[in-house]
Amino acid sequence: MTAIPARVILICSGKGGVGKTTLTANLGIALARLGETTVVLDADFGLRNLDLLLGLENRIVYNAQDVLEETCRLEQALVKHKQEPNLSLLPAGNARMLDWLTSDDMKKIVGMLAERANFVLIDCPAGIETGFRNAAAAAKEAIVITTPEMAAVRDADRVIGLLNTQGVAPVQMVLNRVRPKMVANQDMLGVSDVTDILALPLLGLVLEDEQVITSTNRGEPLTLNGSLSPAGRAYMNVARRLRGEEVPLIDPSRERRGLRARLMGKIRRTTGLF
Amino acid sequence: MAAALSVASDPHQPHLLRLPPPQEAGPLLEEVRQALSLGAIQGPLNLICGDWRLRLPDLEALQSLLTQQGLTLVQLQADHPETRVAAASFGLHLGPNTGWLPHPPKAAATIPALTVHQGTLRSGEHLQAEGSLLVLGDVNPGAQISAVGHVLVWGRLRGVAHAGRLGDDQATIVALQMRPLQLRIAGAVARGPDEVPTAGLCEEARLENGEIRIDPASPRWPLQGMRSQGLNVGSSPSAQ
Repeated sequence: MTAIPARVILICSGKGGVGKTTLTANLGIALARLGETTVVLDADFGLRNLDLLLGLENRIVYNAQDVLEETCRLEQALVKHKQEPNLSLLPAGNARMLDWLTSDDMKKIVGMLAERANFVLIDCPAGIETGFRNAAAAAKEAIVITTPEMAAVRDADRVIGLLNTQGVAPVQMVLNRVRPKMVANQDMLGVSDVTDILALPLLGLVLEDEQVITSTNRGEPLTLNGSLSPAGRAYMNVARRLRGEEVPLIDPSRERRGLRARLMGKIRRTTGLF
Repeated sequence: MAAALSVASDPHQPHLLRLPPPQEAGPLLEEVRQALSLGAIQGPLNLICGDWRLRLPDLEALQSLLTQQGLTLVQLQADHPETRVAAASFGLHLGPNTGWLPHPPKAAATIPALTVHQGTLRSGEHLQAEGSLLVLGDVNPGAQISAVGHVLVWGRLRGVAHAGRLGDDQATIVALQMRPLQLRIAGAVARGPDEVPTAGLCEEARLENGEIRIDPASPRWPLQGMRSQGLNVGSSPSAQ
């Protein structure tokens, strides 16, 4: 369908709970809103919840296994998003078939998806075992997401090493859940501490944002909203940078100041008062 | 020259499969398939790959071929650092990277004086060298490097380094930036210093009275002081 080959991007982290699925959901919506035909593939079928985050849980009928077994056509298995028709979801399978999906199956299904989309995002399971290896085998490039914690950084590092041996490139990084105040007080690893170890290009910086929890529970990714919250804006910027746009990174030390402080600063500057 | 298979007489002993030098051989799987077609054997297998550069997908393909034949790959002997790293992350037991014979004559000449590894070693990777080891890149936290001789890191050492693995207490560890989790020289073990070192200062760890101490590196090329093995750096194999 498309002349340009689709970009098949693996979203992985090694450690669980750092935001793979949240990033996949938000990035999927963001890319769709930017006009890209996007498919998100939930490769974490043991503990699948990408459908939940996208609010599509009750619409799933078929999955990738049904497509491979030819019990249904690919179009039937793809679940189109309610508000963003450019985005569809393909669940890889259900939890009962833990050892079903081989790397050849993954390659086959991703190949089929790549023919009909500009972007294929693969939500990778946590860990570095078979699930990860099979997902990585099908991907061309990768985004490694990590949080500024030693354990998450260490696991991300391990994953990057494995991606390198599998020939996945380029590998870029998103730093999630940064708390500017804690970084400023040196209670948390800073951006440079993380980039120092992982030595990857930084694709995005997402600040800790309570809205993420609400949006996750509602099944409405933040990027779906017209007026974006800080994290929503960050995800949107990641999508823009993925498409090659130059978007400057936010500076966490400036974001630290609350609304009131920023207003006061502005008043001070414009009026010369105080 | 084809791949050579030596079948073990004792069923509990592994068979040995030795690959020909990569420049004289065909594709990996064909070589292996050809060698295995000579006799129907089953059980554990040691693979001696020599200089073959095998990456993770190669190992996966190899493993599935061997499993089909009823063979289990128990040990891999490889000289190429990338193969060793890939095998380690694949979970294979790594044999010593010397020759292929069951009882090789331990000629010092066959041991490379200096192994050069180019690229960053990431968490979980483990690189071993029989002579001295030079890493052109960082050693990240969680990675481990060890050498029978010296360990030299042209980069930041933030993982675990072991010099003098077989007991040479003259071995040293040198790094452009020394921030290790742990240092080991011969039988001594030390935790890395807690304070961040001065930037731009290359440091050297050596054993003094049984304790490891770190000093600014001396401008002397450390391999010259190596007393074991009679190293000759000038004729060492080129970087891999």
